[in-house]
Amino acid sequence: MNSLDPRVSRLPEIGKPGVILPKIPLDQFASFEVFVQPREGKPFQHEGIVHAPNIDMAYIFAKENFTRRFTCTSLYVAETRNVYVSSTTDGERNAYDLVADVSTSGVNDEYEIFHLVKRGKQHIAVGTVMAGSPEEAMSTARKMFNTKLVYNIWAVKRSNIRLTTPEELDLWTTLPEKRFRDAGDYKGGDKLKDFLDKQKLTS
Amino acid sequence: MYGGGNTFEGVKTDSVATEDPVLLAEFEARIARGEKIEPSDWMPQLYRKQLIRMIEQHAHSEIIGALPEGTWITRAPGFKRKMALMAKVQDEVGHGQLLYSAAETLGKSREQMIDDLISGKSKYSNIFNYPTFTWADCCFISWLVDAGAIVNQLANAKGSYGPYCRALERICAEESFHLKYGHHCVIYLAAGTQKQRQLFQEALNRWWPPMMHFFGPSDKISTHTEVLMRWKVKMGTNDEMRNQFLDMYVPKIWELGFTIPDPKLKKNTGTGLWEYTEPDWEEFKRVINGGGPCNQERLEVRRIAEERGKWVREALKSAKTTYVTPLA
Amino acid sequence: MNEGALKELLYKMADDLLILGHRNSEWTGMGPLLEEDIAFSSMAQDKVGQSLALYNILHALGEQAPDTVAFTRHAAQFHNCILVELPNQEYDFSLIRHFLFDTADSLRWEMLTKSTYEPLSLLAKKIKGELRYHTLHANTWMKQLGTATQESISRLQQSLQVVMPYALGIFEPSPNESILLTEGIFEGESALQAKWKTRVEEIVSGTKLHLPDWKTVTPVFGGRLGKHSEHLEPMLNEMSEVFRMDPTAEW
Repeated sequence: MNSLDPRVSRLPEIGKPGVILPKIPLDQFASFEVFVQPREGKPFQHEGIVHAPNIDMAYIFAKENFTRRFTCTSLYVAETRNVYVSSTTDGERNAYDLVADVSTSGVNDEYEIFHLVKRGKQHIAVGTVMAGSPEEAMSTARKMFNTKLVYNIWAVKRSNIRLTTPEELDLWTTLPEKRFRDAGDYKGGDKLKDFLDKQKLTS
Repeated sequence: MYGGGNTFEGVKTDSVATEDPVLLAEFEARIARGEKIEPSDWMPQLYRKQLIRMIEQHAHSEIIGALPEGTWITRAPGFKRKMALMAKVQDEVGHGQLLYSAAETLGKSREQMIDDLISGKSKYSNIFNYPTFTWADCCFISWLVDAGAIVNQLANAKGSYGPYCRALERICAEESFHLKYGHHCVIYLAAGTQKQRQLFQEALNRWWPPMMHFFGPSDKISTHTEVLMRWKVKMGTNDEMRNQFLDMYVPKIWELGFTIPDPKLKKNTGTGLWEYTEPDWEEFKRVINGGGPCNQERLEVRRIAEERGKWVREALKSAKTTYVTPLA
Repeated sequence: MNEGALKELLYKMADDLLILGHRNSEWTGMGPLLEEDIAFSSMAQDKVGQSLALYNILHALGEQAPDTVAFTRHAAQFHNCILVELPNQEYDFSLIRHFLFDTADSLRWEMLTKSTYEPLSLLAKKIKGELRYHTLHANTWMKQLGTATQESISRLQQSLQVVMPYALGIFEPSPNESILLTEGIFEGESALQAKWKTRVEEIVSGTKLHLPDWKTVTPVFGGRLGKHSEHLEPMLNEMSEVFRMDPTAEW
């Protein structure tokens, strides 16, 4: 292709313009929910999703898709199918009021619980419960975390989460120094002032 | 980055009449209370359809918008500019990723959206169908097209759909770097050599007409737009957005001693509104319909990228995990 | 401290990172999937950033400013290995190059954490996390594509064959090896190469790819001495097109 972009000029010729060659259906991958801890001691919060073929790749994608710009201390991902979701409520209705009672199974799998406290905002981690099923996790969470109005609750079994390992915590150490991605690194004020002063002198 | 002037489909408003009146009343009350709509909520078909269309166009604009600036990635002058431009174009791709995800929560897969982009079925912001001849064109986009985008995005971030608002919140935070970087680049051109000033003046001459097109033609206030505004899908008229942009940026361009190529451009101090030569809307339509200088190249690049990546995606696709609609 | 030997080491490392960062950045906006487009671009930015840090160390040693060094030298004045200057081709090629180079790069920096030259050892410690991501990324992709479809395996195998002689060019012996070793600045290219081979073998053994017999691969040398392929000069011309319009101008 003859282009102003030298990268485009170098592209190989494939197929015909406007024609998508045959492909396997849905050549896009599973969805994974991404959670980031912005600061030490702060809870993890939901940031968005990545599509990936498996959880290891999801982690790699999530790291740059969601933590390349603003400082953070940790990250984890879970496949969307493994996030158990409550009903969503509105107004003064609490989502916990719709959570069914489940008797204790005695099984001690760890589940992470997330709350949506304001529609339009992120789900935020509130803590861990022990349970034998996601339904039981929700029921237990109601006893432990039902302190204020919540519009939606998520429960994710901890063994279904790809966590950041302790030795991986240095992944973000140079992030605060990547100033070229930071608006604060582009102060044109002095240059502009010099320019305007010079303009005044010449006019 | 994002091109405004969305084209909304002419769905008849009486389609709302076929919706369940109780659910519709609940839905409208929720929006009127200032609460956001979440993906699992009931919503009118018209709402869903228009949002998919709008967010999808926005996402495409980011992905295609990465190309005109990307033209200068390999040629950015000096380390500071090189690293910033790499990061900026990367952000645009990232914004596309975020927006596709938001649109997916409404039930359209990313793959389908990308197919519709390549086949020409879906639209994207018209402004990216123009070429970046020089480094200064690239600087124009980084500063002023992004500035226009921010005007739109800040308005849309107050809209009613939760996932779109969340994506826009992230995007706006990232855009502040783009805007400062773009302005920084242009200040250096303005304060630089004769040649540098000339480069930017020429870019301004080329890009001003598409910039005026960017916000779209004056909206006709129909019952249709009235519904979309009540549902907080459309957050302001195209003229309001354009006026806000002119208010904020024309003085900054003049401050740098550049001439905006429109002799009629001035602010009416009585009305507070800008007056300008009516943009050539025939040209706007021609470009939207594929007749712009770069339409074909932009879609070709995207198509070739998809074709080249196909073996990678096919190899990675696993039967163990399957696509599901993202949660939020 | 032998400054000549030190500068030679710094220049080749900086040039490698700048040129490969530049090549990898060409994928931005054209990657095989959106998420990977973003990840690959970040690593390109890291590389250019690391090269800048090295040019800054050189500047402190009396060399010209980073922009001048990076944007005004001619091909014969660059000391990067030829591997990094080769055009991108398809993603399998870029990925194999990324894997082979970044494996060497992360081992090199790991060795440099013990360097007696403090600016280097400090930088090595600082960028450890970046390198961790680069190798995690490369190894995960190798494992995925190297065990997936017939097409992905044969593409990777083919690229491995093509790239390997150039990859061995990373370790082109330096006339200063023994000086650097004696002064405790760097253990040397042959020590690095030995570690690299072990690590590469380990990762490749987790895939359906096979490595060529090391004895049968002839390394492509010359880059460290400024003898480059025909690809570097046009790349540098493109890179400095705007900068050279007026090198005294501020952009």
